[in-house]
Amino acid sequence: MGRQKIPIAKIPKKNHLQVTFSKRRSGLFKKASELCTLCGVEIAILVFSPAEKVFSFGHPDVESILDRYLTRNHLPAPDQSGAQQLVDAHRNANVRDLNARLTQVLNQLEAEKKLGESLHQMRKASQKQFWWEAPINELGLHELEQLKVSMEELKKNVAKQTNKISSIAGASSTLYSSPALYGVNQYDHIGGSAGFFESKPTGFVNNIASTSTMPNHHVYNLGYGHGLF
Amino acid sequence: MTRKKINLAYIANDSARKATFKKRKKGLLKKMSELSTLCAVQTCAIIYSPYDPEPEVWPSPLGVQSVIARFKSMPEAEQSRKMVNQESFLGQRIIKSEEQLKKQQIENREREMTQVMYRSLVGDQGVQNMGVADLNDLEWLVDKSVEEIDERIKSLREQIVPPPQVMTAGMSNSHVNSTDGGKYGTEATKNRAETEMDAYTPNQQSSMNQKVGFGLRNEDMAVYQNPQWLEELLRSNDQNMGGQLGKNEDIPFAFNGNNSSLWSFP
Repeated sequence: MGRQKIPIAKIPKKNHLQVTFSKRRSGLFKKASELCTLCGVEIAILVFSPAEKVFSFGHPDVESILDRYLTRNHLPAPDQSGAQQLVDAHRNANVRDLNARLTQVLNQLEAEKKLGESLHQMRKASQKQFWWEAPINELGLHELEQLKVSMEELKKNVAKQTNKISSIAGASSTLYSSPALYGVNQYDHIGGSAGFFESKPTGFVNNIASTSTMPNHHVYNLGYGHGLF
Repeated sequence: MTRKKINLAYIANDSARKATFKKRKKGLLKKMSELSTLCAVQTCAIIYSPYDPEPEVWPSPLGVQSVIARFKSMPEAEQSRKMVNQESFLGQRIIKSEEQLKKQQIENREREMTQVMYRSLVGDQGVQNMGVADLNDLEWLVDKSVEEIDERIKSLREQIVPPPQVMTAGMSNSHVNSTDGGKYGTEATKNRAETEMDAYTPNQQSSMNQKVGFGLRNEDMAVYQNPQWLEELLRSNDQNMGGQLGKNEDIPFAFNGNNSSLWSFP
């Protein structure tokens, strides 16, 4: 997060100003939304952009608040119409549900981020121990060739295992919803046997470029019972 | 600031709600003021609360009038284009957060699978216990890794000048000791481009040359200048098999269940 202290004065650089506007406007609406939810107040906010467009937030809605203000009729319109009450009740229920859903998603997101961070730490620790876990770009030719051999061996074994399972299962599809490894379970947007990755190949973060350094001379300490580092 | 995690729901407790309202309203108006100043834009706010029959306005009644007037003077379409209420705003936030969540899940999945892949290289029995979906993912990841390795190998080979045979010729004629190794290293750097294939004699020297050839293809020039490396390499050659630096032996792919260590040798 930025957390820089900036003077409260017009931002000199146009790009910076635009970016700041975007972020702060978004944050402002978020705060307004929270205020409405937490304290049950009604509000309207109008914001003109540097490009002279207008953003507005309103609860229950911008128009009604503006009208109420302009007519100086500060009393909320008397709730005569049953229909209006129904509309309001429905809207409030909706908002409650939305807030609940948002909270749920945000919690999940936080959990996943934490998981991501610990996985990252684990990887870093592993890379210190095992040379073959280093980013591919940092390995020497000899190491790469060795690694490739191992990888291809692994691939054979995976294929073997896959075939084994397939032949046992026959045509049954129920066996294909096996629990994912390491408790990574709830991916309801992924089909069973298609695997997690294959349905979304473009979504991957290429983790390969990391900053860990593998001194190349280590490769020559390989094997022969000398043990690793 | 307390930094408590807020529960996004109406605060039932009256005094807590009132206190929260005061604080947050103050904060909101401060943010509005900052936004206005930093970005040199017009803004206004109107707040109706149960605590006051009159609405609270910012920046001032006149300021609000002026902003509203400017707003109303815009075509309807422009007014509503970026207009949101609680429902639409929350909907947008949910969608954005769900996208971030999905991205993070995919990233985490790849990280986990990468670990599985590396563990499996060392003979971890995980593969036997995995379901088809995971196996497919693992296979995908292995394929991807092999692809990257191939590319990297290719690019390294392209960088390297054709095999410096001058090195092997030199090696085969001199005794192996550290000083020679060092000399050897520096000569290598100087003479890379030269070819003295004629001096090369395949037979008894072949294994040693081959080993050296291997090492020479490493891109890291610093290694060449390290006599210790060379000494160790050649010494270990003497100790073990006079034979070649068997590629396959370096990572015995221990998948038969007996060998769990990558580096176990008979």
